[in-house]
Amino acid sequence: MQNASASASSQIPPLRRYRLRPVDLVLGPVILVVFLMLLVPGWIAPGSPTEFDPMASLIPPGGDYLLGTDEFGRDVYTRIVHGARPTLIVAFAGAVVGVILGTLTGMLAGYAGGRVDETLMRFMDALMSFPTLILATLIVVMLGSNPVNVVAALAVVFWPRSARIVRAVAMDVARRAFIEAAWVRGESHLFILFRELLPSVMNVAVIDLSLRITYATMLSASLSYLGVGVHPPTPAWGLMVKEGQQFIQFASWLVVVPCTTIAIVAVTCVLLGERLRELLAPAHRGEQ
Amino acid sequence: MTEMIIRRVGLLALILFAVSFMTFMIVNVLPGDVAAVVLGDGASPEQVHLLREKLGLNEPVLTRFVSWLGDMLRGDFGVSLLYGQPIKPMLATRLYNSLVLAFLALVLSVPVAILLGTVTAMKRGSWIDRIISSLTAVTFALPEFVKGLALILVFGIWLEVLPGSSLIEAGRHPLSQPLILVLPVLTVAIGMQPYFVQITRAGMIEAFRSDYVRTAVLKGLPPHVVALKHALRNGVLPAVAVIGMTLGNALGGLVVVETVFSYPGIGQLMVSAISARDVPIIQSTVMIVAAAYAVGNLLADIVSIALNPRLRY
Repeated sequence: MQNASASASSQIPPLRRYRLRPVDLVLGPVILVVFLMLLVPGWIAPGSPTEFDPMASLIPPGGDYLLGTDEFGRDVYTRIVHGARPTLIVAFAGAVVGVILGTLTGMLAGYAGGRVDETLMRFMDALMSFPTLILATLIVVMLGSNPVNVVAALAVVFWPRSARIVRAVAMDVARRAFIEAAWVRGESHLFILFRELLPSVMNVAVIDLSLRITYATMLSASLSYLGVGVHPPTPAWGLMVKEGQQFIQFASWLVVVPCTTIAIVAVTCVLLGERLRELLAPAHRGEQ
Repeated sequence: MTEMIIRRVGLLALILFAVSFMTFMIVNVLPGDVAAVVLGDGASPEQVHLLREKLGLNEPVLTRFVSWLGDMLRGDFGVSLLYGQPIKPMLATRLYNSLVLAFLALVLSVPVAILLGTVTAMKRGSWIDRIISSLTAVTFALPEFVKGLALILVFGIWLEVLPGSSLIEAGRHPLSQPLILVLPVLTVAIGMQPYFVQITRAGMIEAFRSDYVRTAVLKGLPPHVVALKHALRNGVLPAVAVIGMTLGNALGGLVVVETVFSYPGIGQLMVSAISARDVPIIQSTVMIVAAAYAVGNLLADIVSIALNPRLRY
């Protein structure tokens, strides 16, 4: 779905096309903080996210505890920082695996056409006939409630959706002259798929990935809110909301803090995806 | 047209078969053993073996699938492991409650989305377009439970004007307590907005570009007349076409909203069945929600074909 003008302007490498926008000044610091939480949670929150302290139960934010404490006296700030990993790494891994599977499937279907295409895509349709959250929940519950299975479930959910998008592009590219030329040169199918076709679908796959990561963050948070795939005392953000909800009347920070964190990360994902799209597919700028 | 619909319904039967097959396979073939899932981690091998006998799990998978499917077609959804009661009456009430929720949200959502979509399309690129478009992008990114809890906090706890929990007493009709429906309906409706608004906006922009709208503008008609009388008819078609799909999507997303508000719908039944490891209920609720999703998509197909004669061939 790249048109002629898009491929012409994509001659300029994306990084060279980068221009600072006001929104980047907000996005940058947030992304930096999220990365610090993922890489070195112990540096920014040295305390333990799971240790009980009966003397410090349900203390409101401010004072000694920046974001308050929960019913077991655990520091909410520390739990949020340490909860980035169980919440986001799972989402990121699920999106990456799903998009890789989808890209491979979509490329193969689009390039091979005919019966291979038909079989692969009908299987993808069957996977897509489940609502995303329901399919993910079912898979995690049946495989066993742990983070690895959440990654698998997210991947299965995104796989067909990604495959559809990549297939549409691959079908288009597969008919171009340079693919035929490679074929006439006597290159193998594998060579054509990975050296000729893959680079052409890469932009679409990356844009798709940015979108999937947003969805994956939502899905992973929703799963942990339902108590699927994580167990206490893991400080996954969704689970923190679930546990805090019973105290919402008089200790609303237990709900407000993790919900706000999820909201900030989700909105950052959307904005980041949009910026990425501007850089990788400039033809669409100003369109929509 | 009729032939087209018959073919689509036939396709639906095929999809439902595929969905039931996959539901059954995910539950029964994936490494997790149903008996072990039901009994939990602390179960001894003997207990697992006994339960396998009792549930007939030692039969071949395909035999069990065929008998499960046959039972379901006859309206027998099996017996809950936890309550020891037939599942069907439970499913009926819960599904009804969920449909009430989804339907009310839809009724609320569509006119608002058409209004917002039309305004943003007319004022494309202006600050009002940017504000509405960013707001829809943000609500789109927020998980359902974050939106629901935000509403509970504001209206249930700080302003104290609406109940934050939507429990319905057994045997009562959800509409008999309209106040408890407000927040869950709002949450679902807000969740439906972004997609509707975007589709209406795109449809309206397309309609504004057409020759007949240009003619109307050049005739000197005021902008709102052009928008309402000329562009809107074609502009909302894409949004109307996805209503069925949105309803199906909403049923899938209800799992979370119903959990947030403790609303006794089908999604909440599924979640409680999951924590109770009640596999027969898990299987039937997943099947029902997936079926509703498939029917929603089918309706979307039929409506868009009915609205756009070019798709009929």
